[in-house]
Amino acid sequence: MPVSTFAGLQTSLRGLIAQQEALDTTSHNIANASTKGYSRQEVLMSASRALSIVTGSTDPGENHAQLGTGVDVDGITRARDRFLDLQYRAQAMRLGGLATRVQGLETIEGALSEPGETGISQELQTFWSDWEGLANDPEDSASRQAVIEAGKALATSLAELNSQLTNAAEVAEAQFQAIAGVGGEVEGIAKEIALLNGAIRSATTSGSEPNDLLDRRDLLLDELSELGQVSVTENENGTIEVGFGDAAAPLVEGTEVTWPQELVEPKGKLGALLELTDEGGTIESFRSEINAFAEKLADSVNAIHTEGGGPAFFSYEAGKGAATLQVAVSAKEVETAKDGSVGGNDIATKIGALRGGAVDRAYAAFVTRVGTETVEARNGETNAQALLNTVEERRESVSGVSLDEEMTNLTSFQRGYEASARAMSALDEALNVLINRTGRVGL
Amino acid sequence: MSMRVTEGMAARTILSDLSNARTRLGTIQREISSTKRISKPSDDPFGTGRTLQLSGELEGFKQYKSNVDDGTGWVTATEASLGHITETLQRARELLVQGGNDSNGQVAREGIAAEIEALTEAVKQEANATYDGRFIFSGTETETRPYELGANDEYAGNEGTIKRVIGTGVEVPINVNIKELLGEGNAAGDNKLLDVLRDIATDLRGGSEENAENLRGTDLARLSDNLDELTRVRAVVGATTNRLSTAGTRLEELEEASLQQLSQVRDTDMPEAIVEYTTQQTAYETALRAAANIIQPSLLDFLS
Repeated sequence: MPVSTFAGLQTSLRGLIAQQEALDTTSHNIANASTKGYSRQEVLMSASRALSIVTGSTDPGENHAQLGTGVDVDGITRARDRFLDLQYRAQAMRLGGLATRVQGLETIEGALSEPGETGISQELQTFWSDWEGLANDPEDSASRQAVIEAGKALATSLAELNSQLTNAAEVAEAQFQAIAGVGGEVEGIAKEIALLNGAIRSATTSGSEPNDLLDRRDLLLDELSELGQVSVTENENGTIEVGFGDAAAPLVEGTEVTWPQELVEPKGKLGALLELTDEGGTIESFRSEINAFAEKLADSVNAIHTEGGGPAFFSYEAGKGAATLQVAVSAKEVETAKDGSVGGNDIATKIGALRGGAVDRAYAAFVTRVGTETVEARNGETNAQALLNTVEERRESVSGVSLDEEMTNLTSFQRGYEASARAMSALDEALNVLINRTGRVGL
Repeated sequence: MSMRVTEGMAARTILSDLSNARTRLGTIQREISSTKRISKPSDDPFGTGRTLQLSGELEGFKQYKSNVDDGTGWVTATEASLGHITETLQRARELLVQGGNDSNGQVAREGIAAEIEALTEAVKQEANATYDGRFIFSGTETETRPYELGANDEYAGNEGTIKRVIGTGVEVPINVNIKELLGEGNAAGDNKLLDVLRDIATDLRGGSEENAENLRGTDLARLSDNLDELTRVRAVVGATTNRLSTAGTRLEELEEASLQQLSQVRDTDMPEAIVEYTTQQTAYETALRAAANIIQPSLLDFLS
């Protein structure tokens, strides 16, 4: 079969088109070098279908040859490793949870202002000292007043700490609502994923690979995984089904969003917020610890204060010790001696001797526990951050845009384009000779 | 296949390294400027627990010192009063010996009796001694005068003990039960000082041979016994003074030790911190310089 005169022009044209598309893709990569979530794209090229030509061979078996016709663009793909995405999301979930926990614990830790001159431990020491001062000077009404004031200061600080804990829980709850509630972050992300699902489905059905849409959807999944556990099932039409946390129904299915749903243990940031605020959660356990401390303080002091038949020094509502602790006596009613004598000091001495005892230890244990939990969460956060960095690095290594590489590609595609154009000019010149000069001998 | 390294990776690594270096520098800066190694519980949870415990101990030692000071004042006042009572009694003893001597006539004995009565008042006056506005010999009824001057020898205080805490679980009684020494006079007939002094005065005024015998015999013996008892009580008070003074010194030492431990747990070790600071600063500057060098060159710089 003879070959068309203009077949070579077509071959060059294919070359020009392919190189141009490669150049365009390179420009696209360079333009998006700093775009978050962008995966570098590559033009897939392959040699186009060859023409079968007849050769001059006399061997009937070998009188055919394949004449190349240039290049075809098969598609444009993005460089992406799904397994790295899975690892990334697992770490992002861990980090999201731990970072949130650290934040919550640091707020509580700050509210303690320990160790320092203004914390409850200092006030507790002042309280004991004032009792011992009263023991030295039981006749003095100013010493009695000092004991009352120190007791009130302690009660106020405990109530303040208690309300700071309540406040921390409320802030965490509000944060949870802002993320998981109606119109929250989760729903926003889910809706965008659903929209992208639609667009991706149309593109996939028409046979093309919507790289930029896929990147955008993957980025949204990354963001979502910080908030809670994400599970993704891919469908053949390009859409994905997204499960979130331990919600019963999928968050996104095709273009449908099912939200809000109940979450019990969603992990990630939401999981950490629930862990802080839940019944039996961190904040509640802190609160019951300071309640126990307040009640131990009140009971220990009262037990001694009432030894002579006097009134209780502190009053409180059981189970709400920190919030309801109050000094229940007036300066005159402060008992210093069992026998009620004006100069006796056995009660005051005994209360003062509570210093360094179970009450002090209970408070120190509480502060130590807050510190330990903060350190543990912070260490976990550092560790998760390091792991996330590693995965991110590996993912970047696969998907990231390297400008050196793009510049190299740019040069080679540019040269390719130039060379294809040159090939076309060469053919053009040849055809010029053929068309305009042939048969014009002697003219 | 070797790992592709992109500009983004380099930038991210540099950024994270710089931020780590900056964080370390910030931490050490804070430790130096606040002079505290622990400024919040999570800096060192167990150190924080220890800090709270040591701060409590320290407050305790301060308070014990103030208890010792107060107790010392009280005991010193007690010692002075008992000293005066002893002197008074020695004078009474001299007078008694003088009065028992037969060479003295009844007129002279009357005079001595008057003096004995005055001394009795003086003893009661001393028993009414105060420290910081409080009667030190009234037991725990410190606002009640233990003895009314005059003929009534009844003790108005109680037998309560006043103690000072001078260490964890260490209590020292600082008051003396004066009733044990002075008693309640003839009405009680308890052979204590006031009873004896009243008897002496009675015997001096009595003028009979039996009275004179009493003066030389039982009265003298009873007064001597009471003086011995007084000396014994003074020895106890002296021992208490010594104990308080020793406790004061020991508390100073304990406070110092506690302060040192607290400082070790809580405070920044300055020389170490400053060396660390210099190291971290150098590391940070090096990281910055490296970052500046790494970020700049690219193929773009060499393509025309």
